[in-house]
Amino acid sequence: MSVLRLRSLVVATGVVALVAPQAIQAQTREVVAKEVSVGRAEATLRLEFADQQRLEISFANGNVLVDGEVIGSYAPGSDLDAAWRDLLGQAVALDDGPLSEMLSDWTVPADLAGELADVARDIDQALEDALSEVDVQMSSDTGTISVSLGDGNGLIEALVGSLGRLGVLEEALEGLDRDVRVHFDEDLVVPAGTVVEGTVVVIRGTARIEGEVDGDLVVVGGALDLGEGGRVTGEVRVADTRIVRNEGSTTRIVDLIEEDRESEAELRDRIRNEIEREVRGDLRGEMRDSRRGDDRGFSVLAPFRPVGRAIGGIAEKAIAILLLALLGAGVLAFAGDNVDVIAETARRSPGRSAMVGFAGTILLLPVWLLGTIALAVSIIFIPVAIAWLPLFPLAACFAALIGYLAVARNTGEWLADSEYPWTGWIRKSNAWVTMLGGLIGLMFAFVAANVVSIAPFLGFLSGLLVVAGGIITFIAVQIGFGAVLLTRAGRRREAWGPQDPDAAWEAAMNVDVDIDVDSAPTAGPTAGPTAGWRSRPSERGAPRRDQKRDQKRDQNEEGNDG
Amino acid sequence: MGEVTTTVRKVLSITAVAAVALPALASGQSWRDVTMSRQLQSDDAVRVNVEYGAGRLTVGAIDEGLLYRMNLRYDEDAFEPVAELDGDRLRLGVESARRNVKTRGRQSGRLDLELARGVPMDLDLEFGAVRADIDLGGLTLTGLDLSTGASQSIVDVSEPNRGSMSTASFEVGAAEFTARHLGNLNAERIDVDAGVGSLMLWLTGEWERDAQVSIDMGLGSLELMVPEGLGVRLRKDSFLTALDSEGLVKRGDVYESLDYDDADRRVTIDLDAAFGSVKVVWVR
Repeated sequence: MSVLRLRSLVVATGVVALVAPQAIQAQTREVVAKEVSVGRAEATLRLEFADQQRLEISFANGNVLVDGEVIGSYAPGSDLDAAWRDLLGQAVALDDGPLSEMLSDWTVPADLAGELADVARDIDQALEDALSEVDVQMSSDTGTISVSLGDGNGLIEALVGSLGRLGVLEEALEGLDRDVRVHFDEDLVVPAGTVVEGTVVVIRGTARIEGEVDGDLVVVGGALDLGEGGRVTGEVRVADTRIVRNEGSTTRIVDLIEEDRESEAELRDRIRNEIEREVRGDLRGEMRDSRRGDDRGFSVLAPFRPVGRAIGGIAEKAIAILLLALLGAGVLAFAGDNVDVIAETARRSPGRSAMVGFAGTILLLPVWLLGTIALAVSIIFIPVAIAWLPLFPLAACFAALIGYLAVARNTGEWLADSEYPWTGWIRKSNAWVTMLGGLIGLMFAFVAANVVSIAPFLGFLSGLLVVAGGIITFIAVQIGFGAVLLTRAGRRREAWGPQDPDAAWEAAMNVDVDIDVDSAPTAGPTAGPTAGWRSRPSERGAPRRDQKRDQKRDQNEEGNDG
Repeated sequence: MGEVTTTVRKVLSITAVAAVALPALASGQSWRDVTMSRQLQSDDAVRVNVEYGAGRLTVGAIDEGLLYRMNLRYDEDAFEPVAELDGDRLRLGVESARRNVKTRGRQSGRLDLELARGVPMDLDLEFGAVRADIDLGGLTLTGLDLSTGASQSIVDVSEPNRGSMSTASFEVGAAEFTARHLGNLNAERIDVDAGVGSLMLWLTGEWERDAQVSIDMGLGSLELMVPEGLGVRLRKDSFLTALDSEGLVKRGDVYESLDYDDADRRVTIDLDAAFGSVKVVWVR
């Protein structure tokens, strides 16, 4: 078939379509899904077509909508409403072809007039446009041209576009004969396992070939997607066309517009760059994996890694202890009395302090939020609210820190009395050293976990120690924070009940007394039985009081004698 | 059964047409009638999930070139229809449009679902307070998972399954549950997990292979309807459960049908029950 003939046939098709629609053999589109939804205030038809396009016509709350766009109005129960519901009633029982035909055949009811008739005409047009698939077949001496249009309304536009490309078409169609099927403004899909006979021309559409085209394929102003199993027995000619895939087989692909397509050199450069990027990425990934593999794999240094990790962990804890101790030194220097009061409260009432601390922790967030809201309500307090936002959390953290340090000090005192190994250096007379000892004691479990982690197969024990350390820290913080709250940051000493006299005496005497026997006087009125003994906890109490009483009595008797 | 299905289909179509033609009959609740269908475009396997909360439910097979057809009547204030095909996953049914949907008074809702015969399906049915009449006969099932809450359900496999499956699973809450022609399921294993209620399992149908049936029952009664000629072995692990094992003989720890060794097809039943009664009934 000559190019001129084809061109004239294409143009003729458009002319026929414009002036004599009845000459066009219209067939209905395939409806793959249907939904008819009818309620009291709504009656809707939804259709989905094979090309995944949709149509929705809805009568809802007095409005008529096509694809969501209002095209008119109706009164519920009106003739138009009744006609539409009647149409949907018929649509319920039909599917695909019969459904399409029934909907396409629907016409404006004769008894409608005025605006309702206009709306009905719009609905009719919407149904026609969506459901009709224009298919024109024209025979000639040398073959048949079959023209398929995706959208009948787009015919003119498609023709205008194609006329603009006729120069390209002329080249594209040169030498082709046999039957030609032209697809205007629609996609051509040849599924796997199917064969399309003859030459196929796709204008302004995508040619997706998974099966076989037994002939030539021409794509103008569209896209070519030649799948892995796709086959075109003849040539593939493309013009102004994007090649999505070229994985199938064909005699050759001819690109007709050199200037519009990406040059081969550019394509090669692009592919090269992409490959380089890919390879570099892969290499980087492999190197990264390799490095990770080294970590996991055998190495001379492998046995020492746990030791290194443990030393690192211990160093971390040591730094933390040191920092806390430095903070503690500052706190003791500037608020030593407050720390004394807090520590005393924590020591005397640890349970109560812990409960108050826990409750305080839970209430922190609500108090912060409520405080912010309360302050923000009034314009006057808004600056205060701005300050409140960061200061309140800071104050809470500071309170918890002071409380923790106070508990650390108590712990240090306890360790000093405990006579545990390596605790002799903790001197209660120096509050900072006591606090440092307590900090080490509180964090001992963490340090021990690091040490244990050096040994293989003791990961579980290490984990347990970490958990124990966490629990100890949590409890210490809660007790300390509670004590801070109870004592108003150490400004108010907790009122204690009357002390047992014996306990008070014991507490008063509970000091380390070292008396040098050699330097003590051996006789004289001041010499007594206490001289030369070293205070030990087991030696305190009532017997010692008896000794004191005896000493006083002896002194009195000596005085009387003298 | 085919005639009955056709008749039912006609009745349903008429009902749907009538419902469409006579809108707004319902008062109080705002009822909506929806008909949805989708053309069958390939024979690829599909995973089908059907969810339905309350009302009447029927499920059957369809031949007319459709993947599914669903007629639904629901309260539009409380529910939304679902019909989604995403790749090989098909979701059908209704889902709540709002929280705290009360099922009381919503029993007039209805879902009539028909599924394609020739498409291999892994079917997952979930429904709550529902009167269900489910006929899986003629479907091509590759998997079945049915779970129901407080319901009155009849599941029938009126025709042999065109596919085969490794496990068919039934999870029954507080329900009156009847399953017929379980042999037609063509399953290697059938699991029944029942809470409280009355359970009737018909081991009738065409057993293509030996199978294992596992029944875990809480409180209630179980009737096992066993066709003559089917070899049955029953292993019982029960607590305060009466067993009427007519036609079975005890061999060691298990009960066996008299012709168990000679039977063409054998079904082993593992029964774990507490507080209830188990009755074996032989049917021709």
